[in-house]
Amino acid sequence: MVSLPRRIIKETQRLLQEPVPGISAVPDDSNARYFHVIVTGPDDSPFEGGLFKLELFLPEDYPMSAPKVRFVTKIYHPNIDRLGRICLDILKDKWSPALQIRTVLLSIQALLSAPNPDDPLANDVAELWKVDEAEAIRNAKEWTRRYAMEN
Amino acid sequence: MSGEEDSAMYYSDDDCGYDAYYNMGDCDVEEVDVKDDPEYFAYETLRVEQVERLLNESVEALSNKLHITPSLAKVVLLTHEWQLLPSAVAYKNNDWIQNLLNPSGGTKLETIGSKLRCPVCFCPAPPEKFSSIACSHMFCNECWVSHFEVQITQGVSTGISCMAQDCGLLAPEDFVLSLLTKMPLREKYQEFAFRDYVKSHPELRFCPGPNCKLVFRSKEPKAKRTICEQCKTTFCFKCGTEYHAPTDCSTIKKWLTKCADDSETANYISAHTKDCPRCHICIEKNGGCNHMQCYNCKHDFCWMCLGDWKSHGSEYYECSRYKENPNIVNESVLAQAREALKKYLHYYERWENHSKSLKLEAETLEKIKSRINAKVMNSSGTWIDWQYLVDAAGLLAKCRYTLQYTYPYAYYMEPGPRKELFEYQQAQLEAEIENLSWKIERAETTDRGDLENQIDIAEKRRTTLLKDFLDV
Repeated sequence: MVSLPRRIIKETQRLLQEPVPGISAVPDDSNARYFHVIVTGPDDSPFEGGLFKLELFLPEDYPMSAPKVRFVTKIYHPNIDRLGRICLDILKDKWSPALQIRTVLLSIQALLSAPNPDDPLANDVAELWKVDEAEAIRNAKEWTRRYAMEN
Repeated sequence: MSGEEDSAMYYSDDDCGYDAYYNMGDCDVEEVDVKDDPEYFAYETLRVEQVERLLNESVEALSNKLHITPSLAKVVLLTHEWQLLPSAVAYKNNDWIQNLLNPSGGTKLETIGSKLRCPVCFCPAPPEKFSSIACSHMFCNECWVSHFEVQITQGVSTGISCMAQDCGLLAPEDFVLSLLTKMPLREKYQEFAFRDYVKSHPELRFCPGPNCKLVFRSKEPKAKRTICEQCKTTFCFKCGTEYHAPTDCSTIKKWLTKCADDSETANYISAHTKDCPRCHICIEKNGGCNHMQCYNCKHDFCWMCLGDWKSHGSEYYECSRYKENPNIVNESVLAQAREALKKYLHYYERWENHSKSLKLEAETLEKIKSRINAKVMNSSGTWIDWQYLVDAAGLLAKCRYTLQYTYPYAYYMEPGPRKELFEYQQAQLEAEIENLSWKIERAETTDRGDLENQIDIAEKRRTTLLKDFLDV
């Protein structure tokens, strides 16, 4: 097995020892660059009560390049598409090597609290979010109940 | 008026002086009255070293003026189109540039004994192994180098910024090169940076010719003809594509896109096809008979009125009664599409045809050259006696090229007196060009004076058209 950079080891240790409230990130047994993530739907959001699975992968040149993150659980959100891809600036052009797994996951949690339909990835969802927010929120709650509350 | 002339003269003097000094071959300036040549364009040809010298002059001027390092001056100039005054003003006023003068103090790093912990790799290292640019965000040198490597591999050079979150401060060249030691990467960085500098400079253009390293400079960048003296590529200085007078840059782009993409195919489909009235599959009529049978659902219908063929039976020719019936909106859409297609094809066929003629006439020129050679060898005149024929062929190509590019221009013109005038002049030019082509093909039986007269007429028509319609 290839030795891990100290940065990844340190980040992993800290994620396990001092987890962020509402977020769990556990490295895969066979690949320390692959994390199984669970984000709790934030209170007072349409995603409240849901447990959302994500996968996070640290590429070879991490932290010089951004981690790759994707929702595995289906979610009704204007900035997340059907494949679970996330539209978030810090995962793209605003990535900085000073950011960490922890900060990325916090940003994703914040995105659940504050959807941004003006910068959409899922166009149909964003459209409804703008035209009829109440209906969109009902949909989001329904999806949360159906896909993110299995237990 | 005279001022304009003076400045043009100044450029041409400048051109000749520059070229003669660097022994770069003949001066490109044509020896005609500048006012009479609508295609006159003053530009100079520069080699990489000359471009570097030119850029360095600006860099030195700004760095002396503001008392900053040349490397920093380069960053400021790059982001301000290489204009000295705006760069100086921006440097003094702009917030992010102000940061360079007043470092924001930087971040406090965690200390471990006498060492600092790098916020990127989390490794402790002695303070002297840390660096920052003017924003004072400290990172260890190893991380800086990895950052540079990843960026350069992605083609980024002058755009490399500080690693701190939300800090967009650009890393100056000397900072990057002081840390980057791997030779291939240093070279790549410098190559990309040079490309960025030239592309950000409004007066400079790379030669679009393949593998050509020359750069052109014009103090008045316009959509005018530029010819590379080395690879002979001819292009429009402004947009870098093939020279396209009298059409302007945005119109030729629209035209070429139109010709390349399938938007006209869509029009063709609506003009030559109809949907089966039962299963709605698209059907192309490829024969004369109007009794159609859908290959998909086997429905029999009438092409004219789209009605069921059964109700037609033998009464086909009385189908006219359906003509009043069909959906008028639908009919007019079809008619519109057919009309649009007809119009486009009219211009496109001529555009294509002249393009093909240009190729055929290039073959003619080769034939002329070998015929001249044979004649000279047979002591039938000297080479210089026959030179007028080569000149005539060259001029023919020049005229036909312009003629080809009048078609996209006309296609996008609004109907009206101006378009009528344009198409009148276009027709005149076309007639004279075909006359010239005819005479060149029969050169041996054509009087030299007659041919030279024809050259003159064709070129005058071309210049007149350009003078009236070339608007750059």
